[in-house]
Amino acid sequence: MKAILSYIGIGITGCLLGGVSALWMSGLLNSKSGSVLSQVNIENWTSDWSIGSAAADGYTRARVARYGLLGLAKSEAVYFIRSVDEAGAPLQGHCSYALSGTHQDALWWSITLYDEQSRLPMNDDQALSIDLTQVGPAENWQAVVSPARPKAGHWISSRGAATFDLMLRIYQPSNLIITQPEKTVRAPTLRKMSCEGAA
Amino acid sequence: MTRLVLSLIVFAFAAAAGHMFVLKKTPSVIMNKAMTAMDQRGVETHGFTLSPRLTPQTQTVVRPSPDLAYSICLFDFSQGGVLHVSAAAYDNYASISFFDSKTNNFATLRVGENEDNAGKTFRLYPPNSKARDDPSRIDAPTSSGIILIRRLAPRSADYEQVVSISKADQCRLETT
Repeated sequence: MKAILSYIGIGITGCLLGGVSALWMSGLLNSKSGSVLSQVNIENWTSDWSIGSAAADGYTRARVARYGLLGLAKSEAVYFIRSVDEAGAPLQGHCSYALSGTHQDALWWSITLYDEQSRLPMNDDQALSIDLTQVGPAENWQAVVSPARPKAGHWISSRGAATFDLMLRIYQPSNLIITQPEKTVRAPTLRKMSCEGAA
Repeated sequence: MTRLVLSLIVFAFAAAAGHMFVLKKTPSVIMNKAMTAMDQRGVETHGFTLSPRLTPQTQTVVRPSPDLAYSICLFDFSQGGVLHVSAAAYDNYASISFFDSKTNNFATLRVGENEDNAGKTFRLYPPNSKARDDPSRIDAPTSSGIILIRRLAPRSADYEQVVSISKADQCRLETT
């Protein structure tokens, strides 16, 4: 009887550890943002082409359910996340960054800032994103990501976020973007300019 | 020695079983939680509900786009029937996407400006429905899920236009 109880205890412990390890390996316990998306990596903008797909493996499906529920399949939209600066350091809400890019081979694109909880940062700056309709038809565009409004130009506010990431949405991407993302997606560049309180 | 080996085997099998079970169930649990939260916030089952314009204060799911207007319809085929779904015409990007209870995006239709599907009614059938010759047929892999209309609306004026036209969106269960 004692031996059976012992095996039951071992079994329960194994089950619990197995469950926790699944959550850990899916990035649900150890990730602050979507940096766990890494199937496609273009200049630190990472994505996973199996988002929204039944073909995604269990770990990806669990991750996407947590960090990107109701994401579309890649034929309709692709999503990239950038959570580090050019030196590989996490993006900080009290720092300012220069963001620049060109248009994408797609119907529409946008870049939105999310805090460490994958939420829009709690501020009322009305500067949560930039998109194709804002930057207009010009081939190249520049913006500033910072906690305070710049004197001029496009702005994404990081006020209210301790750390954050940027999500690039590309809607109705061309076939080339889907089949050859590394060659076709024009990854925006991000460069740290300064930090509040820095000496 | 035998007892130690047996203990290790029990532990390994239990850990593998727990791992696979959690991995398989996590998307469904998260989706179910999201659907329950939407229901509690007044999102209709078998009817589209337009979400308020997205701001930090009104966000209810992770990673919403503040440039899109979302209309949501929950579906539940537990009582049978066929769901009639259509999106009112919109002169910019618009799509209807269908998600099953395991988070899979099993269908997406482009219904915006100049799209062939604009204004059309589609019929969503429950899992394992008998085959019918219906060109507007979509099969749901699970008996419940979420239908989402996304419309590009980055400015307040765009959102106000969506408020007006979305009244004609349709998500209606027809039972025979």
